[in-house]
Amino acid sequence: MKPSFKPLLALIDRGLLCSAARLVPGARRADWLREWRAELWHVRQERAPMEQLSWQAEREIASFCLGAFQDALCLRRYRWRLGPLLTALHGSAAQCLLMLAAILAVSYGIAWLSPGVRAERMLTSRLQNPGLILIQNADGASTAIAPQQYLAWKNRRHSFFDGFAFYRVTEESILPESETGSAPKEPWKVAQASSNLLTLLGLTVRDATAESNSTLPQVILSKSFWKSEFGADPRIAGRIVRIGQRRARVAGVVAEDTWNLPGKVGAWLLQPDSTLVVSGNGFIVAHLNPAGQEKMWAQVMQISEYDEDESPSFLGYNIDQWQPGSWGIYWMGIIFALISLPAITSVSLGEYSLNPRKTSWRQRLYRWSFFCAKIALLLPIVYFSTLDLAYISTAYSSHFSTNIQMLSAFAFFLFGLRWALLDHRQRCPVCLRRVEHPVEVGLASRTFLAWNGTEMMCMGGHTLLHIPALPTSWFDAQRWLYLDTSWEFLFVGSGAG
Amino acid sequence: MASETKLSHTAAMILQALDAGFVYGFSIMEMAGLPSGTVYPAMRRLERDELIHSQWEKQSIADAEQRPPRKYYKLTAAGKTTLQASRRRYPLLERLIPSESLEVVEAEEASSR
Repeated sequence: MKPSFKPLLALIDRGLLCSAARLVPGARRADWLREWRAELWHVRQERAPMEQLSWQAEREIASFCLGAFQDALCLRRYRWRLGPLLTALHGSAAQCLLMLAAILAVSYGIAWLSPGVRAERMLTSRLQNPGLILIQNADGASTAIAPQQYLAWKNRRHSFFDGFAFYRVTEESILPESETGSAPKEPWKVAQASSNLLTLLGLTVRDATAESNSTLPQVILSKSFWKSEFGADPRIAGRIVRIGQRRARVAGVVAEDTWNLPGKVGAWLLQPDSTLVVSGNGFIVAHLNPAGQEKMWAQVMQISEYDEDESPSFLGYNIDQWQPGSWGIYWMGIIFALISLPAITSVSLGEYSLNPRKTSWRQRLYRWSFFCAKIALLLPIVYFSTLDLAYISTAYSSHFSTNIQMLSAFAFFLFGLRWALLDHRQRCPVCLRRVEHPVEVGLASRTFLAWNGTEMMCMGGHTLLHIPALPTSWFDAQRWLYLDTSWEFLFVGSGAG
Repeated sequence: MASETKLSHTAAMILQALDAGFVYGFSIMEMAGLPSGTVYPAMRRLERDELIHSQWEKQSIADAEQRPPRKYYKLTAAGKTTLQASRRRYPLLERLIPSESLEVVEAEEASSR
């Protein structure tokens, strides 16, 4: 090392002390810094007195300076009077539960704020309204139905239906109004639909421009069309477009995979019934009331007109697309994780003891309650964190998000359970504090002659935990040694130490 | 402070080192083989519990030796009582840091000069 580094290293050491001093309460800071600087001077004299420099000496000096942070934090804890509280919480069951509660609060907060999660909930609510059918012509060359039939059904009272909507798919060019004079673009498929179609399907499109009092019909764009033709313009809502010869106002954008009806369309033009009647044939979407859903058999329903012969004129096909929803996916992941758990860890809670002393039923109840509380907090943490991960961006398709949620629910719960079991196995059965200070005992080469493994100690002085390094026929699982009162003198009774 | 206060082994070692004449943080570190992040916070706790007290060295002494003044620590009466109790609990304490250590150190320093 070159001697020119020495002032630089000294400066870094002083910088470390100054940084640590920021943690010291203001009233004691100057005195504290003066003491550490004086001590640093002596450390440097002791370790690196000459111009000769060595990494070893500089490492030791830096290590000395880093200790100042622990000292500063110690003083800060005294100021806040947190010392006894932190000591009491350290390694305790309460600390573990508080940590889990904090993670739960963070994951819930993210889920609550995430627009992707809100969109998923909106989509899920649609599944709570089953009974949608697509009505097609049963006889004749075409399955399409005349719009007059739709109007006739809509204006009549029914025993089995409580809603009708109509749409037909046409090919038309869609241009922003500002580009009306430009060369015609390739036509897209447009669903000309009754204004209640999306509502009937359970797709709520919040019209951001509803206050504009515009009399123009609304058009909803598919996500792919919005990206390809409008470059994913975030200010698309409210813009005027020209669809064929008609003007329409963009009300919003929806993902294509929410549309499971015949015809892959780029936009939905919502029109009043009076406009639809004068155009060509299309499809009718109807919603069955509970009585109608009982009449549904094998996903198909025969629909006959009154005053007609016995043969059905129309067929209604069930279009309820089964989707498990985020809740169903979550539970699938949980069940798979539970099945897989024995493959990655022992499901034992390790409650074997070396000496005959047993814990009281109250202590056992306390221990089991703590374990149940951990699992009870783990479940919502996994639910909300998987939602956060799967729907962190609304740009993901629902299939992609579903897969992400499934995989993450499986992985999070599997490893969460593993952690809960491992944590539980290393908590003193008496006070539920984590055992500390692991000590390797014995030699691996003497495994079959003597005890070989790790010993850990409860800092409350209740127990010693013996974990074998290699399970043998006489010592295959961890065991607890309950300490009697003769060991008490080893454990600190006051905070002075 | 009650004379029967139970100290951890680390805190007892620090009291023993102070009693043996190692009155600065760094010298206690050297004697006990403990890092600075353990020794200084432990000394803060001992000072808070009035087992030790600290005092700044006179500026004139430091100036004469061309070095910054140091803060040195001493056992209080309560600290001495607690140390006696700790010696009974940790019989090897005195063998680990004998009281004559300081004399050895001073002799070594004198010979090096």
